[in-house]
Amino acid sequence: MSVRIDAIIVGLGAAGGLIATELARGGQKVVAIEKGAFYRQSDFLGKFDEIRYYCRSAIVPHMKSDPITWRPNEKTKAEVLPWASNTLGLGNPFQIPPSMGTGGGTLNWGGAAFRFREADFRMKSTIAERFSESALPEYTTLEDWPIDYRQMEPYFDRVEWELGVAGKAGNVNNTTVEGGNPFEASRSRDYPMPPIQRGAVDDLFCDTAKRMGYHPFPTPTAIATTDYKGRKACTNCGFCHGFPCHIGSKLSTHDLIKAAVEETGNLEIRPFSRVFRINKRADGRVKGVSYYDADSRIVDLEAEVVILACYALENARLLLNSGINGNGHVGKHLILHNYGWFNGVLPEITNSFMGSLQGGSIIDDYTSELIPDNEEGVLWGSPINTWTGDFQPIETIHGLPPHVPKWGKSFKDWMGQNFRRLFRMYSQHSTLPSNCYYVDLDPVVKDPFGQPALRITHEWTDYDAKAVEYFMRIKRKIAKEMGMLEWWEDSPTPNYHVTVHDVGTHRMGLDPNTSVTNPYGEVHECKGLYAVGGGQFVSQPSYNPTQMIFALAYLTSDHLLERV
Amino acid sequence: MSNMFFNEEEMGLVQAICSRLIPSEPDSPGAMEAQAYTYIDHALAGYFSHLQNYYRQRLHDFNRLANRYYGADYVRLAAEQQDELLHSIERMQVGEDSDDMRVFFEVIHEHTIEGTFGDPKYGGNRDFVGWRMIGFPGAQWGYTGEQMQLGYDSGQIEILSVTDLLKRHKEAEKEVSRS
Ligand SMILES: Cc1cc2nc3c(=O)[nH]c(=O)nc-3n(C[C@H](O)[C@H](O)[C@H](O)COP(=O)(O)OP(=O)(O)OC[C@H]3O[C@@H](n4cnc5c(N)ncnc54)[C@H](O)[C@@H]3O)c2cc1C
Repeated sequence: MSVRIDAIIVGLGAAGGLIATELARGGQKVVAIEKGAFYRQSDFLGKFDEIRYYCRSAIVPHMKSDPITWRPNEKTKAEVLPWASNTLGLGNPFQIPPSMGTGGGTLNWGGAAFRFREADFRMKSTIAERFSESALPEYTTLEDWPIDYRQMEPYFDRVEWELGVAGKAGNVNNTTVEGGNPFEASRSRDYPMPPIQRGAVDDLFCDTAKRMGYHPFPTPTAIATTDYKGRKACTNCGFCHGFPCHIGSKLSTHDLIKAAVEETGNLEIRPFSRVFRINKRADGRVKGVSYYDADSRIVDLEAEVVILACYALENARLLLNSGINGNGHVGKHLILHNYGWFNGVLPEITNSFMGSLQGGSIIDDYTSELIPDNEEGVLWGSPINTWTGDFQPIETIHGLPPHVPKWGKSFKDWMGQNFRRLFRMYSQHSTLPSNCYYVDLDPVVKDPFGQPALRITHEWTDYDAKAVEYFMRIKRKIAKEMGMLEWWEDSPTPNYHVTVHDVGTHRMGLDPNTSVTNPYGEVHECKGLYAVGGGQFVSQPSYNPTQMIFALAYLTSDHLLERV
Repeated sequence: MSNMFFNEEEMGLVQAICSRLIPSEPDSPGAMEAQAYTYIDHALAGYFSHLQNYYRQRLHDFNRLANRYYGADYVRLAAEQQDELLHSIERMQVGEDSDDMRVFFEVIHEHTIEGTFGDPKYGGNRDFVGWRMIGFPGAQWGYTGEQMQLGYDSGQIEILSVTDLLKRHKEAEKEVSRS
């Protein structure tokens, strides 16, 4: 190839899409390799379609092309996880890695956008100080982060203002602001846009929560609520989570990438191409990647810098498949979220199909280090999140209360009475990283290109179940106070093992013996190779991870552009 | 014959099953009026073409069960017997001989739901029967703050399919198509 390439980016999702944009705008020549499509906005105009996006999972990887296997422990043989309109066309695609194509997971995400708390960077020491050195279960490999809130604050701010997040600040420069989250860490300024349109249930939830002594605040969302930097204000269409946005209100790196391609001339995208190996030079530095192009031909591409941004699971698969795992830490320390779903029916019609799922409020009174002293041994808290809109019919039917028949007249009656008054609360309990739960290469199952499938070894622990149950009790109390007519709960040890918040598989650290990357995402054992995204996380907060993924992507970009 | 995949006999059986899964009532149509069976037929000719033999075989087995337990084809049974058979298949324990039937029940149940509550362009949800049943207005460009108030009657909103919606938004479509 005659043209010099400064950087190859593998995967154009949250992290890769932002880094590709930043480098191209900073004057670097970038080639991005993406296994999905290079979409046009018009592809999404008819997106109000549950069959296409939910039942048939039009923009997510499928079992056949992208198999992932799972086993609960090392004694059991792993089996291919069912998802995405599985072989029999049974739609239960909760268990999915985020979508593919330009934008990746930011095409179908829900847009909840949180900063970490200060303590989220020092979970291990916070627990040791608060409880005792021996409070943590023995199996955990939990560590503190090598970076802290103060260092990341400017990057969180940049995500909120450059990319655009809507919300209400609760603490600006150490001054409490009415209406926001009183428990948040100090921020340098408010959000650039007001919170998203409230779902009809929000007043009832907030009044109830306040009466019970909690401090609800509106969920911050990376969804434009006013026209902002070329993005249109959200219309509250109610096809949001799991669907691409029809007008670009929901932040997607697809839009950033597309603008960067057109405006800089520095970014070339090679869609329908999947990388299967990272190549190294004799001196150990990265040389480039090998990929299957759209016609399944193998192509080798070289560059000074290679950035893996394929999501925490696929990043680990590529590192392992390329023999880059000198210290044995790749794929270890897997952390998932357990959502503790709590569904219910409200006494009044709220039209729960309208608007964003994030049109409600959150309680942070017991989040992370704010967990009250307790007998159960729960060491780390979670918010109580609400889900106020964005319910579609088929997805709702997949989650009916156990007492309701799945068919017949009673089914019909229940749906007729209740589809318009649904409400959901949930939490985000992070599992503790360990050496027992990890991802590696499946010894048997291969993808259609002959590459080993990723294998997940994971089971929910007693500790996880305890934490979930602690918060279920709070949700039950709130439900009662709200006057909810009935409610039903997910198991504290649910049957999903891919949670779309899967992190930690190539965690960062300063010590090359115990971590995979440095804080900029550069892989210790292979100069010039970066592995970015949630895989870099050392611990997972009880918030959605993507604002942090963006913040880290800015950090990596600044480093590559020699700004830091 | 307007079917894309099923023969007449299979279609009769699928219709009989659909009409028990989401039954029709005097003032409230069900899967039959929604033509969920057309959805299934079209899907098998297209997106689910890998399930053609599966459906054919299982429908045959299903009817055999009807004959074994009630001595007649499923379509000839009384509604109560039809329900009874569906119930017993649904409750079959994993690992029993008829495990296959239990899974098939799940499959045809799922596809009946999809054919009743999905967008009409896939062949089902005729006249928005499924969406009317539950008060869902379908594909809407958005909702206003006034509509997102407690107790708002969504029956005031005209139900739209994706196709209807895009017709109304030709202008927006043009604007977005340029990008
Ligand atoms: C339904 C849903 C709702 C969500 N809601 C939220 C939310 O509200 N808030 C939040 O913070 N997070 C949310 N998430 C999670 C969020 O989507 C992820 O955290 C985020 O997208 C991860 O970013 P990433 O860059 O690591 O990977 P991704 O965004 O997944 O991007 C990876 C990209 O790499 C490509 N790729 C993979 N393998 C290869 C290969 N071998 N070669 C070439 N390309 C490859 C993929 O096609 C994809 O485009 C949600 C996810 C889903 C699925």
